[in-house]
Amino acid sequence: MTRLLQIAAGLTLVGLALMVWSMLVPTPMPVILAMSVGQLVGTVAFGMFGYAVLVDQLRKQRARGVKAARAARAAASAPANGSSSEAAPGPSSEAAPGPSSEAAPGPSSEAAPGPSSVPANGSSSEAAP
Amino acid sequence: MSTTDPFLMFALGCAAISAVLLIWYLIRRPALTRATKIVLLFGIGLLPIATAANGNVAGYHATKTRTFCSSCHVMTPFGDDASNPGSTSLAARHGHNEAFGDENCYTCHADYGMFGTITTKLGGMRHVYEYTLHFHQLTVAEALPRIHIRNPFPNATCIRCHSTEVPGWNRIGDHVSLRDRLRAGTVSCASDGCHGPAHPFARVAHIRAEQATAAALEGTPR
Repeated sequence: MTRLLQIAAGLTLVGLALMVWSMLVPTPMPVILAMSVGQLVGTVAFGMFGYAVLVDQLRKQRARGVKAARAARAAASAPANGSSSEAAPGPSSEAAPGPSSEAAPGPSSEAAPGPSSVPANGSSSEAAP
Repeated sequence: MSTTDPFLMFALGCAAISAVLLIWYLIRRPALTRATKIVLLFGIGLLPIATAANGNVAGYHATKTRTFCSSCHVMTPFGDDASNPGSTSLAARHGHNEAFGDENCYTCHADYGMFGTITTKLGGMRHVYEYTLHFHQLTVAEALPRIHIRNPFPNATCIRCHSTEVPGWNRIGDHVSLRDRLRAGTVSCASDGCHGPAHPFARVAHIRAEQATAAALEGTPR
């Protein structure tokens, strides 16, 4: 996307140069070039910018969606995994969702039986003995 | 270039700011954050659009000037004659008029009516086509006999200013006798013997070319 934007910036400079030329030297050829080629180049550059921003925005939204889906999946798998969900509370469950949370137990896993794990985990109250 | 044209100044200002933003982006190459996108929106989008819009208006004004019309070399004698204070040709007399001023070519040769500007500009594109393909390589002397107005000059253009109703106009006997034909456009105001030709040097070149052709034909063995 960065490359596309750089090309768009370069094309815009070309279009601007043609337009400025037509204003400083208002003879037929510069004026015709500015009003045809210059504006076409500028429009193409603006289209490229719009495309790059749109793609970037979609990519970010998709990344956000994947993150949310992972978090939801982690939350859904928490009751099935029993007390292991307590081992990866909060954000770490997104980084290592599902069964892997057992493989990455935080220090809280040792503190699981205590009531202190409840506020940290939220829904893990069922798993607490 | 007219430095008093506000459209031109605004367009140049927008182009300068846009160029600064774009050059900054190309040199610094910042990450594509929201701030960068806003900068690029101005640099690639809003400012160039403002430049193009105002540049179009400035360009439109520029295309109406006599210097623009006579910037093609074959039109130089027409521009020189119109701007010559000593010339008494019809075109020059209108060129001296403050109301026509530097736009006297356009004022007389522009089409009238709602779409007059558009048809005039389309006609201008034909001029570009003709110049590029047929007249570009010719000298002024070679081109002059070949330059002619595409359609007869319409009297409606003259009548826009020279009303056929005012007493001064009607005091002229020829005007009164030809009034209906003038209004109908069957007799031209700019015809030989009336007020024309508008560009006498071009008429002379046409006549000389016709005489040369006739002489060449007479000299050719049949």
